[in-house]
Amino acid sequence: MEPDYLATVLLSSLSSASILLIATLGLAVVYGLMGVINLAHGEFLMVGAYSALTATQIGIPYVLAIPVAVMITMLIGGVVEVLVVRRLYGRLFDTMLATWGLGMVFNQGAVLLFGTVSPGIGMPQYSIRIGEFSLAAYPLAMIAVAAGTLAFVYLLLTRTVYGMKARASIQEPEMAQAIGIDSSRINMLTFAIGTGLAGFAGAVLLPIIPATPSMGLFFAVKGFLTVVVAGPVALTGTALTAVGLGGGASVTASFMTSVIGDVFFFLATALLLWLYPLGISSKWRRKL
Amino acid sequence: MKIAIAALGVALSVTMPSAISHAQTKIGAIFDLTGGLNIYGIQQNNALNLAVERINAAGGVNGEPVAVIGYDAQSELSKYTQYANTAVLRDGIAAMFAGLTSSSREAIRPIFRKANIPYFYSSLYEGGACDKQTFVTGSSASQQLSVLMKWAVENYGKRIYIMAPDYNFGTISGHWIHEYAAQNGAEVVGEDYLALSVTDYAPTIQKIQAAKPDFVVALPVGANQTGFLEQFAAAGLKEDIGVVSTNYGSGNQQVVVSPAAGEGLIASMGYFPSVDSPANAEFIELWQAKYGNDTPIVAGAVDVWNAVHLWAAAANKAGSTDPDAVIAALESGLTFNAPNGNVTLEPGSHHLRQDIYIAEGDANHGFRIVQTYPGSAPTYENEKCDLIASPDTAEHFTPENE
Repeated sequence: MEPDYLATVLLSSLSSASILLIATLGLAVVYGLMGVINLAHGEFLMVGAYSALTATQIGIPYVLAIPVAVMITMLIGGVVEVLVVRRLYGRLFDTMLATWGLGMVFNQGAVLLFGTVSPGIGMPQYSIRIGEFSLAAYPLAMIAVAAGTLAFVYLLLTRTVYGMKARASIQEPEMAQAIGIDSSRINMLTFAIGTGLAGFAGAVLLPIIPATPSMGLFFAVKGFLTVVVAGPVALTGTALTAVGLGGGASVTASFMTSVIGDVFFFLATALLLWLYPLGISSKWRRKL
Repeated sequence: MKIAIAALGVALSVTMPSAISHAQTKIGAIFDLTGGLNIYGIQQNNALNLAVERINAAGGVNGEPVAVIGYDAQSELSKYTQYANTAVLRDGIAAMFAGLTSSSREAIRPIFRKANIPYFYSSLYEGGACDKQTFVTGSSASQQLSVLMKWAVENYGKRIYIMAPDYNFGTISGHWIHEYAAQNGAEVVGEDYLALSVTDYAPTIQKIQAAKPDFVVALPVGANQTGFLEQFAAAGLKEDIGVVSTNYGSGNQQVVVSPAAGEGLIASMGYFPSVDSPANAEFIELWQAKYGNDTPIVAGAVDVWNAVHLWAAAANKAGSTDPDAVIAALESGLTFNAPNGNVTLEPGSHHLRQDIYIAEGDANHGFRIVQTYPGSAPTYENEKCDLIASPDTAEHFTPENE
């Protein structure tokens, strides 16, 4: 095996894992901090993608379209929390069913609003060369974006007043309420941050994954499994799982076939859940 | 007893309206109007309604207006069988137009065979369906690939890489690529079959670079797999390696793909909106008057348009909608001046002899036709399937099972 091929495989697998991590982080935050599995997460990603796309179409530069998409998805997420999710706390399966249905509504809503196909914005035409191989630069940039997003969420949850309140509300809800934390407001904010992260993912991945009404489906399964395998330690667990599963699948696909890459992903998931039914982080002592 | 009365009530309420409006011919339609496949299904359904309007404006079929009883399969296989049964048992249809995926066709084909109702399948597909009641108006993989591979080997070179979806459309197309590569003195230097859910194309792109092909046969399904083309272009591979496809554009992928990635891609299909003919001009005018010009018309829509007109021509020729008479008329070598050129329904194989076009993506999300192969025969289907000589055949022939 030539060293240049090996280097490209490692780099691009890391970028694949980063893409999975970016797409999953919002789901992990909502699950880790609220115990809610948001099955409409993929559709929030889609909403983010269409928001960014529409913003660029009306002349906003792409870099500024990303925060626009985050704001729109946060707003919708907040409304969904108040109207739907709030009424179903503690009822895991009911929440899953409700958010699943919500996803269908979003999906069809996108068809009615945008039609079945919209022009993509394309990928920046930059590439880097390693020996005989050439790699598209934008997907590689996602490694830095994933690291940055992870650091941002970590700092948000550990170094801000909101973060402390959010963790208090989920770890000791009664005590938190007793000392005057408005846990329902905090939960609304947490859900909005989760959907905002989905919107960010949809917007920042738009050059790689074009906006289509059904694009959420493609992330729903893998994102969901990643979060379940990660377990209760939302951030570190998800980052580790995304690199292990996503990166592993990509490396496998590079040396064998894409189908075997997928097989690796699902077999590894099954094996890990068999070994750690509550997720790989269930016995860790850290909290995030 | 109560249940029986209630059931009778339901049955009456269902049959009454059709009993009143007696003088019309009913046809059924099942397409994916919602869900992931609606990128194709909505246009198929639009084409059906447009064709029926045109036929009714010209006096209908045997003097009776045609009424459509339509269903939305919601991109779910189970809905196809459910609605196919409903259409047969309750609606009393004279013909059925339905389906996009091969699995949907295979699921409902036996229902119409048993009911002896002509069934039209209108989508490009892997080929090989053979059944007395089934008529295919889309082009088959061998029909498209035979001309595309010849063209690509002449224009790009002899080293081929295959990127295809991992189900029967992709794998059977892969078989034909191998076969036509050998016929044209070329070789397949690598292949990768991708699950439909794949969004990570980096491994495929590295393997393509390692294999150093002259061109890639890429068969991305749906808009999601167009991510492959973006990454391929962004990695700078488009300069040295050609990309050809038999389904790029079938779901308007050229709209999604950016001009940087889409310009110069080669697609081969039975229809492109840029076909220059009076029939196509009339068709596009009718279409845009009714549906606007936001979205380019896909080949699958024209396939449905052709199917409805061929059925109407056959029913007029037979002078009735009696299934046996209509099927006999359909097998009489019918031709139709279609938007995509003159098409002929092959009596033996129930497939269409039609023009196959090779087109190049331009910088404005459209296609420029570079070559036309007029009257391309469905060679493989004609060779395997002769429903005149052996009308009892009910098979899905695949080259891999031989």
